[in-house]
Amino acid sequence: MSGDSVSTFQFLGLTFNTTNIISGLLAAIIVLVVVFLFSRNLKLKPTGKQNVLEWLIDFTNNIVRGSVTNGDAPDFGLYAFTLFLFIFVSNQLGLFLQIGWNGVTYVRSPTSDPIVTLTFSLITLMLAHFSGVKKLGFKKYFKESYLTPFTFWLPISVFTELIDFLTLGLRIYGVIFSGEMLLKIIGEMAFSGGIGMTIVAIPIAFIWQGFSLFLGSIQAYVFVTLTSVYISQQIQTEE
Amino acid sequence: MLSHLVLGTTNSLYLGDMLFFALVFVLLMWAIKVVAWGPVTKMMKERADRISNDIDSAEKSRQDAEKLAQKREEALKNSHAEASTIVSNAKDNGAKQREQIVASAQQEAQSLKQNAQKDIEQERKDALKGAQNDVASLSIEIASKIIQKELNAQDQKQLIDSYIEGLGKQNESR
Repeated sequence: MSGDSVSTFQFLGLTFNTTNIISGLLAAIIVLVVVFLFSRNLKLKPTGKQNVLEWLIDFTNNIVRGSVTNGDAPDFGLYAFTLFLFIFVSNQLGLFLQIGWNGVTYVRSPTSDPIVTLTFSLITLMLAHFSGVKKLGFKKYFKESYLTPFTFWLPISVFTELIDFLTLGLRIYGVIFSGEMLLKIIGEMAFSGGIGMTIVAIPIAFIWQGFSLFLGSIQAYVFVTLTSVYISQQIQTEE
Repeated sequence: MLSHLVLGTTNSLYLGDMLFFALVFVLLMWAIKVVAWGPVTKMMKERADRISNDIDSAEKSRQDAEKLAQKREEALKNSHAEASTIVSNAKDNGAKQREQIVASAQQEAQSLKQNAQKDIEQERKDALKGAQNDVASLSIEIASKIIQKELNAQDQKQLIDSYIEGLGKQNESR
């Protein structure tokens, strides 16, 4: 983190951050493995892990249904489900697992890097606008999104879209990044002043980890909720 | 120190990361769809359908049962009424039959009596007639007996002679 060097590599003329690649891949694999294991042996009468998975699906579906009206909600269920799980796992990953080597952290929460959260923000807004164009047609979409209530509202609307993009991505980044940074500071504190400091630091680290766990879950929920709100803004006409 | 807060820490933006995460996300979404989302939502829909079907069929069978019970009750009531009509019919029939039997017995007795009276009358008449005939023949016999006694041989000879004379005259004239 602060003071850490960053490991990057170039591929096809693009710059990659090794930490992000490893962490993101790990998060994706965790999500996939969990979902895969939980979806074995599906039965009409659900038991154990199938209940958990169905509860999760219902949970994200309900988030989407909260803002997108019923007719369109099923189209975004899978997106919301995947987004929620991926962000949730990404948020929590750094709390339990941080692997460093030679002053470079290779595994941490991918969402503690703004480039990752902004990528998700961008994906969400692109999906929202794409759905808007698909549903309403380009003319009507443009009119609804940028020219309402007045034609000269256009600059403000464009600016609003930009703000949406930034806030959606940076909110989660801020929370996760600060959480990890504080955890790191507590960890440094534990090894700085002898055994007494360690004893003091352990419960603090515990409490902060618990709080970060809570914050990470809330942020994943907020991200998915805002995603569905943005989607509903684009695909629904204001009467 | 705060270099990581700037999006472009190195010379260029981590465009690769963005592409990578977009790709990973899309792949993850596809994999989840294939592995879990499809089957689970299908199962959930099946369950929802099943439950609604079960509710419908339960409602239907409840209505059927109610209807059946109503029918049974009606049938029971009907059978009571039917039984009472059968009993009363049987009573009526019995009474009617009894009356008939009594009437026919009376009639028969009447006719038997009449026949007997007629026979008695007939017999009496026959007996009377027979008696009359007997009396007549008896009186004739008595009369003839009396008459025979008064006739004598002379008279008879005279009678025979006169007859023979009558025969001879008849032959002469011829």
